[in-house]
Formats: sequence, C-alpha cells, structure tokens
Amino acid sequence: MTTIDLNLVGAKGALVEEAEGKWGMVIDQDICTGCQACVVACAMENNIAFVGEEDSGYGRSMHWIRIERFWEGEYPEVKMTHYQPMLCQQCGKAPCEPVCPAFATVHSQAEKVNLQVYNRCVGTRYCANNCPYQVRSFNWRDYNDDRLDEAIASLKNHFNPDVTVRRRGIMEKCTFCIQRIHKAQDKAKSEGRAVADGEFTTACAQACPADAIVFGRVDDPESLVSQLARQSHGVHHLEELGTLPRVTYLVGGQ
Amino acid sequence: MTQKISRRDMLKLAGLGATTAVLTGCGPASKYVKREPYFSMPEYTYNGESTFYATTCRECAAGCGTVIRTMQGRALKVEGNKNHPLNLGKTCARGQAALEGLYNPDRVTGPLKQGRGNKLSGSAVTWDNAIGTVAEALKNHKPDEIAFLMGLAPDHLFDLASELTGQLGAPAPIRFGALGMFESRATLSRAAEELFGQAAMPFFDLANADVVFSFGANFLETWLSPVAYTRGYSRMRKGKNRRRGYLVQFEARMSQTAAVADEWIPIKPGSEGLVAAAIGKLAAEARGASAGAFKNVDAAAAAKAAGVSLEKLEYLAGLLASAFNPLALAGGAALAQSNGLQTAKSVLALDALLGNIGQPGGVFLSPLAPGQEAYHRPASAQEMGEFVQKINSGAVKVLFIHGVNPAFELPKSFGFIEALKKVETVISFATFPDETALMADYIFPDHHGLESFGYQRVFTGAAESALSGAQPTVTPFHDTRATADVLLAAAAQAGQALPYADEYEFVKSKLRQFVPLSGGFFAAPEINTFMAYFQQYGGWWQTGNALVAPAAANAKLNLAEAEFEEGEFFLVPFVSPTLGEAGANKPWLQEAPDPTTTVMWNTWVEINPETAHELHLENDDIVRIVSAAGEVEAPVYLYPAIRPDTIAIPFGQGHTAYGRYAAGRGVNPADLFGPRVNEAGDLAFAGTKVRVEKAGKYRVLSRLESKIGVYGEGMGEGH
Repeated sequence: MTTIDLNLVGAKGALVEEAEGKWGMVIDQDICTGCQACVVACAMENNIAFVGEEDSGYGRSMHWIRIERFWEGEYPEVKMTHYQPMLCQQCGKAPCEPVCPAFATVHSQAEKVNLQVYNRCVGTRYCANNCPYQVRSFNWRDYNDDRLDEAIASLKNHFNPDVTVRRRGIMEKCTFCIQRIHKAQDKAKSEGRAVADGEFTTACAQACPADAIVFGRVDDPESLVSQLARQSHGVHHLEELGTLPRVTYLVGGQ
Repeated sequence: MTQKISRRDMLKLAGLGATTAVLTGCGPASKYVKREPYFSMPEYTYNGESTFYATTCRECAAGCGTVIRTMQGRALKVEGNKNHPLNLGKTCARGQAALEGLYNPDRVTGPLKQGRGNKLSGSAVTWDNAIGTVAEALKNHKPDEIAFLMGLAPDHLFDLASELTGQLGAPAPIRFGALGMFESRATLSRAAEELFGQAAMPFFDLANADVVFSFGANFLETWLSPVAYTRGYSRMRKGKNRRRGYLVQFEARMSQTAAVADEWIPIKPGSEGLVAAAIGKLAAEARGASAGAFKNVDAAAAAKAAGVSLEKLEYLAGLLASAFNPLALAGGAALAQSNGLQTAKSVLALDALLGNIGQPGGVFLSPLAPGQEAYHRPASAQEMGEFVQKINSGAVKVLFIHGVNPAFELPKSFGFIEALKKVETVISFATFPDETALMADYIFPDHHGLESFGYQRVFTGAAESALSGAQPTVTPFHDTRATADVLLAAAAQAGQALPYADEYEFVKSKLRQFVPLSGGFFAAPEINTFMAYFQQYGGWWQTGNALVAPAAANAKLNLAEAEFEEGEFFLVPFVSPTLGEAGANKPWLQEAPDPTTTVMWNTWVEINPETAHELHLENDDIVRIVSAAGEVEAPVYLYPAIRPDTIAIPFGQGHTAYGRYAAGRGVNPADLFGPRVNEAGDLAFAGTKVRVEKAGKYRVLSRLESKIGVYGEGMGEGH
C-alpha cells in the first residue's frame, strides 16, 4: 500500500478525511475459486433483479459483484489469471460522486461509504460513465414489476424488507450491505457497546466458501481486515487514479 | 355533555392506534398473518426481528447445514449453519438460490391427475383421493410389481420407503442422481473397496496437503461435497507454516478447478491412470524407493500416450517426491472411461506409494453417518440400465418417483422415456413440473425442501460423523403434502400400516437411538428435548474426528488404454458449476455467469480457437455435435484452454419442461452419451467421441465478459 504525501498534494485537511476509511474489505485472489456464491448471495440479500438472456447479453445484468477473469498466453501455455471479484470499491475519493447533477451519489460522513440515494437519482448515468471499476448497474426496465412479469409476484416473496426495491431509470451499486451495518450498530448501541470485529459481515463474505472475502473496520488496526490489508502482497486496483479504494486485493501466494 | 377529546387524549388514541396497527402485523399477537412481500411497504412500519431456522440444504445431496432467515412467515435468505461440521457456515451459489425454488412461479401447486401430457394438467384431485390412489396402487399389485425410484436426497424419505418396501415385500427403492453419475461415485468407492478392503467413499484431506495432483476431480464445482472441498482447498492454499499449497490439475479441458490450479496439464482423455502410474514410478525413483505397484510401468510410453513430454512428468514427479504431504485424487470425467476403475486404483495406489494413506493431508475413508451400518451408494448407470430394462419388460406395474428427473438426467440412449410407457401407473411426487413428472399419471407434489422435516446423512466432506437435520422454515405456500405423510397414510389404508403417525414421528423415532449416546454436539435426557435441539442446531453429530484410516493398500493394477467410440473429437461433458443438475429453473443461477466462460442463460460448445479456425468457426456460430447416440446443436465458444482434439459441453440446460426459466433453453449433452459403462458400472460418458458440423446459423451467447471494457473492445480476438 502506497502512502500519499499529503503535503505534496495540498488540501491536507480534506484529503485526510478522504483517506480515512471506516469499513473495508480484503479479497484474497489466491484462494478465490470463482464459484459465484458471493454473486448469488448478494443478489438474494439486496433484492437485485435478474434481467434475462437478451438484456444480460447487452451487458445490462445487474450484478453488484462480479467475478472477472482474463486469459494469458495461448494453448498449451495458456493460463487464467486469478479470479478477481469486482465490486464497488467504496472509494475515499470517488470519481462517481462529483459528476452527479442530482446529488444522488454522495459520500456518507458517518459510514464513509459511497451512497446511492435512489429517490434522488434521475438516471443520467454519469456516475456509471465515470466509474473506473465499472461496478454500477442501471435499471433499464422495471424488472420487479409484477404487472410486466407475473412471475415476479411469487419470486418477490424473498425480498429483503431492509433493502429498497429499485425501479426503472435508477442507478444502483454495492452498498457494503449498509442494512447489516445499521442493524449491527443498532444492536450494539442498545446493548451499550461498540460493534465487535466479525460480529456481522456482508452477504458476499458470509457466503464465500473459501473465506476469500473478509469485511470489517479498516480504522481499527487490530481488526482482521486491517491485519490482512497490511500484508505485503495487498494491492488497490487502479490506485494510480487516486480513488483511495477501500477494498484491498491480495494477489499471488506468499 | 358533548364528548370533548383533548389534544392529549387525541395523541393517546393515535398512539394506541399506531401500536395496534404494528401489533397486528407481528406474528404472535395475531393468529393469522397474511403473508405478503414487503414490496410496497406500509409507511411507518418498523421491521421486526427475524426468526432463524436451521435446516439442511437440498440443492444437492451433500447435506450442508443452513440457517434460513424468515420474517412474517416468509423465508428471506439462506445462510450457512456455523455449527455444522460439513460447511461451517458457508454455502455455495446453488444453496443461496434455494429461495427461487421455494418461490418459483412454476411449482406444482396441488395434487393432479396428470395423465401423461406435454404440459401440466389442470385436473386437480383432492388429497383424500390422492392417498386413495396410492393405497389402491399398493394394495392391487403384487409386491414385485411395485417400484420406488428416488433421488439422492432426502435420506429420511428413502429410509421410510425402504421400510415400506420391506414390509410389502417389494424390491428396495432405487436411488439415482445425475451428479452421482458425473462424479463417478461407484468407481471411486469400488476402487477404495478393492484397495483397502472396505467399500466407502474416500475422503481426500486437501486442507493438510501441500502438493495436490488432481486427475479430473472438479472438487471446487459440483464434485461430491463442493463447499467442504472448497474449504479444504482454501486451507491448503493458505498453507501450514506459511508454505503455500500447490495444485496441479490433469484434464483435457481447463475446468474451474483447473483454472485456479498452479498448473494445468492437458493430457489426452483416458490416459489419467497411466500418467498417475508413470508419475508414481518416477517419484519413487526420485526418492530412491521401490516403485511397488508401478514397477513395470513404462514412463516414456505413458508420456507419449498422454501427449506430454517425459521431462514434464519427471518434473511433476519431483514436485511430489519432495513434498511433505503430497496428495493425489481422481474423479469425474477421468473415471468415466472404460478404464475408469483402473484409473481410480492407479491414483489411490499413487497415494499409497507416497505413504499418505490415513495420514494428515492424505486419503481417508469418510465416516458413516450416525446410525448408518454400511456404506450406501446410489445406483450406478449400469444398475439404472438394468432397472430401465425391467420397466421395459413390463414387470413394473406401479412406479413411484421422488426427487429425481430421469427423463432429463439419464442419457436418452437408456430408453427410460419409452420404458415408462409400459408402466400401468406412474405416480410422481415432484415439487416442480419436470420432464418425468409430466409423463406421470398423477403428480402428488411434495413440499419444497425448505417446507419439510427430515434428515440427510453427510456422506463425505466432514471429519465428523454427522446427520444433518431438516425442518420447515415456512408453512407450505401451496396445497402440497409431505410424501412421507402420503405414503404412511396410504400404507395404512392399504392395510400395511407402519408404526408412525406422520413424518415428524418417523424422524423422531429414528433419532431415539442417539439420545443415550455420548460425544454428541449436544446431549438431552429424553427424546423430546433431543428433537428440539436437533431442530435448533440443524442436526446431530459426534464431535470427534471419525475419519477412518484404511489399512495399507495392496494394489494390483491392470492399466489399459481407454476405449473410445468412433469420432473426430473427444467429448468432455461437465456439470455446469452454477446450475448443477437441477438449478436451471432458478433465474439467478441462470444469470450467475459460468466461472470459466462467463456465459449466462444458455448452452455453449467449447472449441479450441485453432481448431475452430480450421473448421471456419467463429464465436456464436451454431454447430451440430453428432455422436453415435444422438446429436445436439449449440453455439460455439472459442475456449483457449482446451485440447485441440477435444470439445466440451456443460450439463444442466436443455430442459423441455421444468418451468419457464428452464424450458426450451440450451441443449442436454447427455443426449450424446451411449449406454457403455466401466468396470464399476459407472457410465463411460467421457469415452464418447463426436463429429462437429457447421449448422450455418448463429446465436449470440449472453456473456458477462463483453461488459468488461467497452463492450468487448480492446480485449483482443476471442474475447
């Protein structure tokens, strides 16, 4: 992890605030098996719509987390790169935020994550255009309207009441399962204590059979996620853009 | 006096009203709750606390423990059961999507007189009639004219059906599942029997191994117990004492498992046993030890047969020889060859040579589940073939089918569909309108797994001897009935009553034997408390390590070349890692991209780009794949990691029924398989060879990868 020379950049105060994270994630690409458990778990937790064969062929599928893989070389010396789960990096300095004319994509002061305020969103898609990680997905249709697809009337029984169902014309993305963060904080508050490390986790990390995804407090140096992120083989994707991502990828074995 | 309501009273009343409004929606306060999704959430409603129920995942037969989050009578989310020894709180994609089965818009919603139609019939019957029909069928036929065909899960229903057939004097129920066929389970357990003198499912201790050679075992996808093996893989990778585990995968087509391996060795299909033997011999030489069972192996000839260099084999043998905890395992397509049993024995003999039998990081035998007396495996393809012949001869007058879809899962060449027409009465207990259910005379739908009591034996993957428990997480949504209850009621009507009032009592009676046992995850003084804990914790297991360390192996190998059909290309069929054998009706599994190709919602044919170039094929061109047994048509995917003489097709799509998300989508590669079996009775499906013809049409596959970058631009050819 490179450190930023704040004096060099100037605007020290603002940058310190941006550089401070609260929640973060570590993804160990060496043990990710690409099994898609996180993808489906995320969809089930966050009421994500499926779009069908034709729309997904146009790149309109709504995955908040997807697993990328690339090829290197040619047969027989061909190799697949490590599976790379890609989700909103909850950037400290997020390129999606300043371009939103409706202030729908804003930074949470309390949780230090990128928010998407659905009832402000007017669907300009500027944020998706400006996201270097390509992790925002747009509701091209009313996928959850049972007047348009009667099957939804039955399927929506599993919808999570803690998560808003989105309509056509709305941008959406990974929230670090903010409903789980809030629930854990409420519980801790009512018991007069702080949220313990590992007390709750995101849907993707909870499902991951390989334990490749770890979620927790990055502002607590003793938390598991902080300890893992400090390892020498941790990298931030597209770090050179200065986005200050909160997701650290562990690349290669030790 | 006019009634005046002060402002304060008004607030009090309003407050009371609000409280009442909240309470009526809150379960225990009102007896009847209307179950509706919080899609249009009433304003000012506070979401109450969720209720969690521990149960067992039924998406495959591994028996992972799950905990279901429910709210107001609706199941909302599947989570892993942290206490469960098999999956330790984890789930796979298929387990996560179980809710889309529960809420599937195309479930069978009540008992039907189906009458062997092409689609679901509209003629409903009452459950009384249904039970009467089953009772008549039991009563009016001689015992040996009755047959039960069941799936790999759930075990409690299999036990009940076994007791029923035992009482009637009818043949024991037959169990089958496509996953068992693709895993080559019969071959693996037979090899263990021949080497270790004990029929059991081998357990490969990945977690403690440091160099792992896998011969076709796709243990991160669908093989045996994928969540448990993924956990083992993860621990192997993290390593002991910071020594990272090393995985080498031998197979003709790079599977998802091979994709995360450190090395993928694309050997010729059918040569796995020879390669294992050659590596064994070379490793023994490198260690300066005796080559034992492999002493007569010609390593150079094996290298030539497999299409790899001798130097490569020597290098790989060196890796094994210098490892602290080397491990070799075999499974899947490698064993689905005419020489599959020899391959399995060769790989286990390699383990024996490396001295890891019964050692940490080595080969064990899976413990039997609590109360289980002997290892039990589902019917092999050979046994299914014999069963289909028996049906075809007209010897079966009544066939009960539960939890399996042989019209889709069995290769067409077995003739199951034609044979079924010879049966007088076919009664299906299917939850979904699958191909087999539509061909039945009656469908008396069972509850969905999340609505059912029961148990499932953990047959491999856990070190502990475990029985996974199931209980309803929601009240049944439709007019379905537990098949166990139907069978019990019908047996009583037929004058063959079993001593159980209902399904719950049956499960309870089977658990009674564990109450006095010590060493369990929990203990209870009597059965009712035990049953309560069983439901609370999602099963019962013994806490100690119960893996069996088998006696030293004594291998006699008779390695032969695999026999193939006539044809141009080797065919590698593999179970779709996301769909499994029965996931096609769940839309989010359809939209979960295949891990290696990222294709969604369809079937594809993987062809090496060089081969495709020679055949003038581009991505998305439809090809006709022709084998001796049949043909299928599907779009081409130029797959860079497959041998040029091999093509691969995923299994899981190609349904003609099974609901709107599955029907009419893709093709079923099982249509290409002939009925040939190996020595252990498993289908030799990997011995299929095929011809590839250009169909002159194309269909664009829906892939995730085209979204990355600007709709595929700048990714180079083939992406």
